[in-house]
Amino acid sequence: MTSVTSGLAPATTTLANAVSRDNRGSWIPNGAMIRTRIMELRKRRGLMAAMIVVNIGVPTIFLLVRLIAHAVAPKSYGPAGGYDIFSALVVGIMYFFGFIVAATLGCTAGSVDLTDGMFRHLVITGRSRLALYLARIPAGLALIVPMVAAGFTIVCAVCVFAAPTKIDYQGVAVPQGLSAAEFNHWAQSHPKQAICGLPYNGPNGVPCFINGQGNITVIPGSSGFKHVSPTTLKADALTVAEQNYPAYQKLFWYPSVPLMIRTGLWIELEATIGFIVGLGLASLMGQRTVPVVLMIVLEVILTPAFSRTAIPHLINAQRGLVGLAIAHLEPSALPRGLGGGGGGPGGPTLVPESLTVGICVIVAWLVGWTALGAWRMMKRDA
Amino acid sequence: MSTPTIEDTSRSSAPESTWAVETHGLTKRFGDNVAVNDVELLVPRGCAFGYLGPNGAGKTTLIRVLLGLTRADAGTMSLLGVSVPRHRDRALARVGAIVDEPRFHGHLSGRQNLEILAAARERDARDRIDSSLARVGMAHRANDRVSKYSMGMRQRLGVAACLLGDPQLLILDEPMNGLDPAGMHEMRDMILSLVAEGRTVMLSSHLLDEVQRTCDAVAIVDSGKVIRQGPISELLAGAAMEVHVGCSSPDRARSVLAASAFGEKIDVESSGLSIHLPSGTAKDAIAEINRLLVEDGIAVYRLEEMQVSLESWFLQVTSRLGENV
Repeated sequence: MTSVTSGLAPATTTLANAVSRDNRGSWIPNGAMIRTRIMELRKRRGLMAAMIVVNIGVPTIFLLVRLIAHAVAPKSYGPAGGYDIFSALVVGIMYFFGFIVAATLGCTAGSVDLTDGMFRHLVITGRSRLALYLARIPAGLALIVPMVAAGFTIVCAVCVFAAPTKIDYQGVAVPQGLSAAEFNHWAQSHPKQAICGLPYNGPNGVPCFINGQGNITVIPGSSGFKHVSPTTLKADALTVAEQNYPAYQKLFWYPSVPLMIRTGLWIELEATIGFIVGLGLASLMGQRTVPVVLMIVLEVILTPAFSRTAIPHLINAQRGLVGLAIAHLEPSALPRGLGGGGGGPGGPTLVPESLTVGICVIVAWLVGWTALGAWRMMKRDA
Repeated sequence: MSTPTIEDTSRSSAPESTWAVETHGLTKRFGDNVAVNDVELLVPRGCAFGYLGPNGAGKTTLIRVLLGLTRADAGTMSLLGVSVPRHRDRALARVGAIVDEPRFHGHLSGRQNLEILAAARERDARDRIDSSLARVGMAHRANDRVSKYSMGMRQRLGVAACLLGDPQLLILDEPMNGLDPAGMHEMRDMILSLVAEGRTVMLSSHLLDEVQRTCDAVAIVDSGKVIRQGPISELLAGAAMEVHVGCSSPDRARSVLAASAFGEKIDVESSGLSIHLPSGTAKDAIAEINRLLVEDGIAVYRLEEMQVSLESWFLQVTSRLGENV
């Protein structure tokens, strides 16, 4: 240890000046605190690797494999993109694991200063404990939000650009992205393609036979040929179209821009909630492992269990579950994830909750856990 | 150094206070255990001040209370003349401290850890990172991960962290822990250089020899209470005196002295006697011992007043003496 004295002359500034310049007692964290907090979290390689793998790696690899498979054997493997892939990746992976990873990041941010012994050093600086706590929120969100956005952007890009551009089923070319009404209109405008090209399992049996003049002959059952009027033809085309629309929508629809925006905001909200609740819980408990386990239990067990079955005596408690509130905010065009969701016909139902109540529940969770974590950090012995 | 005595505590905690640390009636309890018991402590500015006590005496708890790491149950205190915890941010702006073992984020480098701490201080603190690291001899390892540091290196990094705030007061809790002899020597030199710059260093340690070499004044804490404080020289001057007597017949000499006023405590050794005299005994007592022995025909070869060490004095005044006995 050398006794170098340069640069460390005895203090000449007064205490009052020193504090007034950096506003040390303020509860608002400064930019440097947030930046260094980001650095501290970013340097945790294992955690960052897990976040990248879940939010970016898994969807990217999944889509890459599908792109290659479709390029090699297009008849065996469908397009890499489209609505189905989009919804599966968003609801099956990004929603579920994204919450857990965000919660893990929150638990880490909320506990490492204590477990690593840095909290004491930070308190001794005289900086407001509340500011020390609040600095973690923008720092953590600065990591998790862009990462979720990056993964989601990749998913959206592939699902849009690698989606099928038309139906090419038994030689029938159908425009993509039609609504049910538009699809019916298209079928009535193109009865030959609709009746003869699309699968049909209706009571009229084999739908058509095209004679030499190009007229369509519908075979009722297998009893023979019959000439039909244009009106009947349109009606038959409509019948075929109505039967095919769900499959058309599911197989050949790519996510619309509004859906992608709503979905992106939804999973960002979910990740934000996971982070902030994890942060508050870990700060409250002063450790990381147990809060992470509790967050996983919340997401994997409690939320699905209490979101789908209404228990009369616990209905209000169920409505207080943040996972249920998030599920009610899920875009209606997506299938339900593990935590619930908008779902489609036939999907599991959710415990009913109004949008207002759902938003109130989410705000309460965000504010409540932040307040609890901050309170504990302010009162805790360092 | 002129060290004010405990009677001066009526002085107010104005910013121009001569006390770097001032506490009155400071008390901290953990359940039924009183860790800090009505402590009256005065640490003068610009000196190295030792805070000594047996294990469990409440040294670290007092430091934690002073720094706002835990709350006091009763009493008042000020750092650098600023009342805490009321104006904690102002008070700690010019205080650096190591409490217990210095621990940092192991996955970050020493420099990055200091950047985190500097960010919580004023803007100038960041500019002091390099000079702080250089001062504690850690510049060459500043970019290594802290998880690769030895205990002694973490101690040095802890001192570097203290220096970020250009402190007027440093509170170091067992700073010699984990240091090898050379490191302890360097730490001692650094503390002395900090004091030479006009800073105050409050040093908590159980290494009494190091404290005696480093500090100008000490406070002794036992069972949560400060039982003595003042300049080391003054405190030792008031300690019990020990006189070694080299003589021809130790047993007979003991009998002679036992019948006199010096018979309170005499140990017989192979080469003579060791006589323990109460504190405040005049130097003439040594001449009187010599006279008694010579008059009784005992040849006196040597009379030596032993210099009382801080350690022996510490053992005299703390409950640890009783334990040893």
